[in-house]
Amino acid sequence: MNLVGIGDCNNFYVSCIRSFNPKLIGQPVIVLSNNDKCVVARSNEAKALGIRMGQPLFQLKRKVSDYNVQVFSSNYELFGDMSRRVFNTIGRFMEHTFPYSIDELFFSASGYESIYGSHADMARMMIKTVDQWTRIPVSIGIGETMTLAKVANRHAKKHPEYQGVFVMDNPELRESILAEFPVGDLWGIGRQYEVLLKQNGIRTALELSRLPHDWIKQFMTVEGLRLVYELQGIQCRDLDTEPLHKKSICVAPSFGRKVWSYGTLCEALATYLARASEKLRRHSSAAGVVTVFIHTNRFDKVGPHHSASQSITLPHPSSSTMELLQYAEPVLKSIYKTGYDYQEVGLILNEIVPEGHQQQLLYSDTPNPRQAQLSQVVDKLNGKYGRDKIRLGLQGYDKSWKMKQDHLPPSYTTKWSDIIEVR
Amino acid sequence: MIEFENHIRLDDIRRIAIGKRLKIPLFSSYVSAGFPNSSEHYITKVCDLNDLCIANEDATYFVRVRGDSMSGDRIDDGDFLIVDSSQEPSEDKIVVVILNGEHAVKRIHYVGEMVVLESSNPKYLPIYIHPGDDFRVFGVVTRILVKPV
Repeated sequence: MNLVGIGDCNNFYVSCIRSFNPKLIGQPVIVLSNNDKCVVARSNEAKALGIRMGQPLFQLKRKVSDYNVQVFSSNYELFGDMSRRVFNTIGRFMEHTFPYSIDELFFSASGYESIYGSHADMARMMIKTVDQWTRIPVSIGIGETMTLAKVANRHAKKHPEYQGVFVMDNPELRESILAEFPVGDLWGIGRQYEVLLKQNGIRTALELSRLPHDWIKQFMTVEGLRLVYELQGIQCRDLDTEPLHKKSICVAPSFGRKVWSYGTLCEALATYLARASEKLRRHSSAAGVVTVFIHTNRFDKVGPHHSASQSITLPHPSSSTMELLQYAEPVLKSIYKTGYDYQEVGLILNEIVPEGHQQQLLYSDTPNPRQAQLSQVVDKLNGKYGRDKIRLGLQGYDKSWKMKQDHLPPSYTTKWSDIIEVR
Repeated sequence: MIEFENHIRLDDIRRIAIGKRLKIPLFSSYVSAGFPNSSEHYITKVCDLNDLCIANEDATYFVRVRGDSMSGDRIDDGDFLIVDSSQEPSEDKIVVVILNGEHAVKRIHYVGEMVVLESSNPKYLPIYIHPGDDFRVFGVVTRILVKPV
């Protein structure tokens, strides 16, 4: 049997900060999203205070002062570097790893029994090593499929007595766990499917896995069917074929202040687009659909609200900043309305494909090779002389819409001025 | 004429992605019109401080020293230490520890169940750690970076 594992860092952003600031251990700590808007990570102590994921900071003012909750902004330099360290450390144990997000890493768990003993022994050794090298707590779930590995991981996190390791390696054990597992917590079950399933009396993952395939296919598409197979222990997602490329890139740091002018929104959009397309090119990928969205502050009680989003499908996938902007700017224009104080403009790049795998349509435009070359030169120059040294005029120079980061934790591992001090 | 059997199936044609190019200096010489430069034959790679100082990049951290508690080991205020968290903090090593939420650099000793942290400046008394104390080793000091005075 080929087993799949997933390593998942516990309260990752909080753990990154605690790794260098151990005074925070045992205290309620929260980390805020871009622009210090809402909660994106909570320590267990903060969870126990009833602080919810995604809760806006202003709703928490009272709790923060009453319980002395430690508040931090997101520092992706720090989080990114610690993520790299954790993944590399886990990667020492096996050949085949597959990062899934900043704090989750799948790995192929079979074939190492002769080296590490049992799967559980291997997982425990991994956790111990990651803790020693990075001080980041990790939970490991191992199961017959990627979906089941995630289930096992969640089970390990829910039950402290397992000390972060749960191996689900036989059908009886699998069924007993799935019988207790809420269907809404499954990987790939969104809110809509959860409602649909509940309406049909399906509450647990086991019940879902026993539904007739025709029904699943009809109401939950072929993706739902894959999920059901995965729950039954049949591998449908594969470490080899699961695309390494992200499916979408989203950039939407909201403004530090309200913005009403089209010009400023446009500058912000161009800058985010430059950022996102740089990322595309770094991953040798191209995007086929661009979505632009804007909205006013939803929590603002006074003042009129406006939010809109619109997508445009490109004639061919592209990674060129200029080309993408050609399409994104008119989208912004079409959804922009004067007379509102905007809180955020953002964009999502979708339908991401590996560069060169673009479907070539007869008679349609093909990517302009000169644009691609130009983008590469720009990346090189910016890599050498600093971000945004070469940029589109539209990106502007006035950064009055720049992010708010009032509680930035130090970049302990990436800035000499921020390293820890010892006595 | 290509035999049918020799056709490469469409599924077997893959694009090769070149992720990263490594520049490798070419070991070659060419006819020189001027004075021959014999060093050209020996270019391999420049010395890199990282190779010397960092054994395990993923577990290595830099820290800055404050105070004079380790002056006897030529570790002074403002110096930088390279710390490797993957190395075993064995007897008599200079280590960075976390004690009651604070970082400290000390020499470590094991006395039975107890850990003793020794400073190398006689002004500072040894610290005794008992089982159950809020203590852990951050890493072993592998290099001291000092600016000459």
